[in-house]
Amino acid sequence: MPLREALRGLRFMLRRGGETLAETISIEGLPQPAADLAGVVLREMGGLVRNMDEIASDIAKTIIGSPNQPSLTLDDLGADATADVQFGAAVYVALRSVLRRLGAPGVFVSEAAARRAWQQNQMTDAATLMIRLLNERVVRGTTAQEAARVSGSALEPVAIFAVLLWLQSTRSEDENEAALDAATDLAVALAPQVATACAARGADAIGVLFARYAAHV
Amino acid sequence: MSDPTRHRDAIPATNEPLRIAVRRLRWFKQAFLRHAEAYGRELGCTFEVDEARLAAVFVRWLQAIERQKPADKTQRRAFFEFAAALMLRELVADMPVKALTPVTLAKPDSAASFWPEGYFCTMFCVSVHAAAMEQEFHTATEVDPAIDDLRHWWSFKENAGQDVSFSAGFLQKVLGSEPNWMFPDVFRARLSRELD
Repeated sequence: MPLREALRGLRFMLRRGGETLAETISIEGLPQPAADLAGVVLREMGGLVRNMDEIASDIAKTIIGSPNQPSLTLDDLGADATADVQFGAAVYVALRSVLRRLGAPGVFVSEAAARRAWQQNQMTDAATLMIRLLNERVVRGTTAQEAARVSGSALEPVAIFAVLLWLQSTRSEDENEAALDAATDLAVALAPQVATACAARGADAIGVLFARYAAHV
Repeated sequence: MSDPTRHRDAIPATNEPLRIAVRRLRWFKQAFLRHAEAYGRELGCTFEVDEARLAAVFVRWLQAIERQKPADKTQRRAFFEFAAALMLRELVADMPVKALTPVTLAKPDSAASFWPEGYFCTMFCVSVHAAAMEQEFHTATEVDPAIDDLRHWWSFKENAGQDVSFSAGFLQKVLGSEPNWMFPDVFRARLSRELD
């Protein structure tokens, strides 16, 4: 797990670093010949970043693999000895998918944080798990996301809420992907309520939302 | 208006009763997208669906039926029709569908040509309602023939633009009931009228 998490972190850093560099340095305002020189340097650096990104992605993919979305539910996990591993893997894969749908594919997801959240919880109460996942910062790097369907501050709670809503929904394996998309869209529609409940870390308020909408995914 | 169940293949298959399935966003969305395709083919136009807006419509509809659901089980059947009316109200309020091209296969003086989006949303609600009624009560849904009159659609579009609750009354009218036009989206108001 530490190697896998480290490689994901490296991949995230390279991608985000390349984007930040391109966004930060503006060559339009520079006089000649500095503008030409800066343009050449930026192109070279951009190529270097892309190459490093590809290498890191290849290594990461080889080691990480591309797991399919698991179809387990929170109830399935129960008191299984490997429940934390399964939960971490499910949350990682599902969160990545949700963040892509929300227009924030570059956000970092920590599988290790998800596992820690489960280990602390030792139960399958979704509302408490939600607060643990927020406290463990399972989603990181949301502040730089401007293309998301929800605002930066709501992105983290909405994404986590969507995954936990999905994990509580009754669904067949064939419906897994459609159910996750539906959970994401429901979370976006409920974003103000989700963000308010999560800001107060109110397990009761979060629990009410789960109870009301888990059957409607 | 022709058979409201003519696009029955746009009702997604499910192992659950339709009254349950329709309250799941994944089923509701799939049904809406399939109907948009079917009606697009029939009318010769392309409908674009805004899925985020559709989800917001769905959530408001769930909240509305939860608020108005009668405790009295004998009202279950009446509330089925009313739930469809509330669905149309929410769809028209936030219109999650847009005709990207003009209607080419319907008569120029038809409801579909006059207001493709309003016509489509109405037919979607009627289609889902008809399928659920058939499954739950073994009843065929008939629509009021007066609805073929384009003047009703002019009135619908104009009034719904001023007061979205009018859409709920319009659908009840389409389904052959006389709505309480003072409070067309309040189930209890409908009941008290029937009890008078």
